[in-house]
Amino acid sequence: MRELFFFQPDVVSALMKGLWVSVQLIAPSAVFGVIIGFTIGALRVYGNAFIKAVANGYVLIFRGFPLVVQLFIWYFGLPYIGIYLPPFVAAVLGFSLCSGAYQSEYVRGAFLSVKTGQTMAARALGFSNIKMILFVTLPQAFRRALPGCGNEIIYLIKYSSLAYMITCIELTGQGKIIASDSFRYTETFMVIGAVYLVLTSAAAWLLRRLEDRLHIPGFEQYG
Amino acid sequence: MTDTIPILRIEHMTKWYGDKEVLKDASLSLNKGELKVLIGPSGGGKSTFLQCINFLIKPNRGRIWLDGREILRAKGKELYDYRQKVGMIFQDFNLFDHLTALHNVQIGLVRVKGLSRTEAKERAVLELDRVGLKSYMNQYPAELSGGQKQRVSIARALAMDPEIMLLDEPTSALDPELISEVLDVIRALRSNGMTMIMSTHHIGFASELADELIFLEDGSIVETGPPEKILYRAECARTREFCSKITEMYGNSSS
Repeated sequence: MRELFFFQPDVVSALMKGLWVSVQLIAPSAVFGVIIGFTIGALRVYGNAFIKAVANGYVLIFRGFPLVVQLFIWYFGLPYIGIYLPPFVAAVLGFSLCSGAYQSEYVRGAFLSVKTGQTMAARALGFSNIKMILFVTLPQAFRRALPGCGNEIIYLIKYSSLAYMITCIELTGQGKIIASDSFRYTETFMVIGAVYLVLTSAAAWLLRRLEDRLHIPGFEQYG
Repeated sequence: MTDTIPILRIEHMTKWYGDKEVLKDASLSLNKGELKVLIGPSGGGKSTFLQCINFLIKPNRGRIWLDGREILRAKGKELYDYRQKVGMIFQDFNLFDHLTALHNVQIGLVRVKGLSRTEAKERAVLELDRVGLKSYMNQYPAELSGGQKQRVSIARALAMDPEIMLLDEPTSALDPELISEVLDVIRALRSNGMTMIMSTHHIGFASELADELIFLEDGSIVETGPPEKILYRAECARTREFCSKITEMYGNSSS
């Protein structure tokens, strides 16, 4: 019976419920994080002095504050100014903004690695700045940023476990409940850890496939 | 020349960085079908001059007329329209690394000129065919030789239907045996009546094709004239010195 603990229907269903919440947290946060990262990264490279300063300020704050503190501010702090966010929304908001700040750094490096000659060629053909970024530098920056951005998504999968701190009961939160009900801390968290390992491995595999799919001759030389 | 209005007129173009003047009061006028060649030592202002003409570098002073119309606001749509009419070829080719040869030529037609993909593709294939690279259209820049890359970049510029072309040392980054394939394309452009300003060290090629040589040193136009005058009867001693040196080095490589 002891060995079969993790096959008990209620334990399994609690874990599955937690896993489902985790996935629901991770997927939109990853997407928003990448979108924010590319937007902020592009502004930090191509914006005027004012825009650059604002974007740099955003990164400074959201990379500098501990994520738990950010989550507490969104969930416990905002009600003081009359904004009540459900735990799930507060968590996704916190994750996206933090992830976006990190992503933007990878993206900034990727944009800077596109040789200036290509931006000159685009402008010489009559491209506006926006079109040049969208059609010439972004497709290249995206490929070069992908390994770094993937790394950040894998981080995100793991720091999504902080959501239970603001009462959004995801995988880790469910684990904590199961562990304290059953006093089987070691086994429970070994299982939880293994589930995260499966998630991060799946993400790494998907990102690798995406990299292969987007591969273009001549790009490997830039790493 | 039958046209009385020059296709391109540039007056008093000046550019400085801090207190260093890199282009001093350069003026030039170009009739339809003419080829003018900028010669002079590296760092003499040839690239700066060419890049000021299409505002890749904003000149501090100077006026530009295209087809008799002055470019007053080098900004927004007026600038983008003007640049479409002024094609540019770079020393380092500057192909878009993430696109095949075909898409390098096609992208400006689709994104700037607003052509449909089919129309753009048709035109791009035609331009690649003209530079002899139709069979390479699905190759990426990394899979092409330097000479092929430069020919793709010429096709890319020509696809936009420019009225004039600026060529900034188009053969300087090429292996010696690849130079002639690019020079042949430029020669063909010349005989089709394309109006061009080119900077080059290939003095033999320049003297064979150019209507005028312009000797540029330390940011100033030192001397201007037909090739035979600049090469053999230059008034300025510095021009003579430069030309004799460069003829020794590059004079025979035009063939």
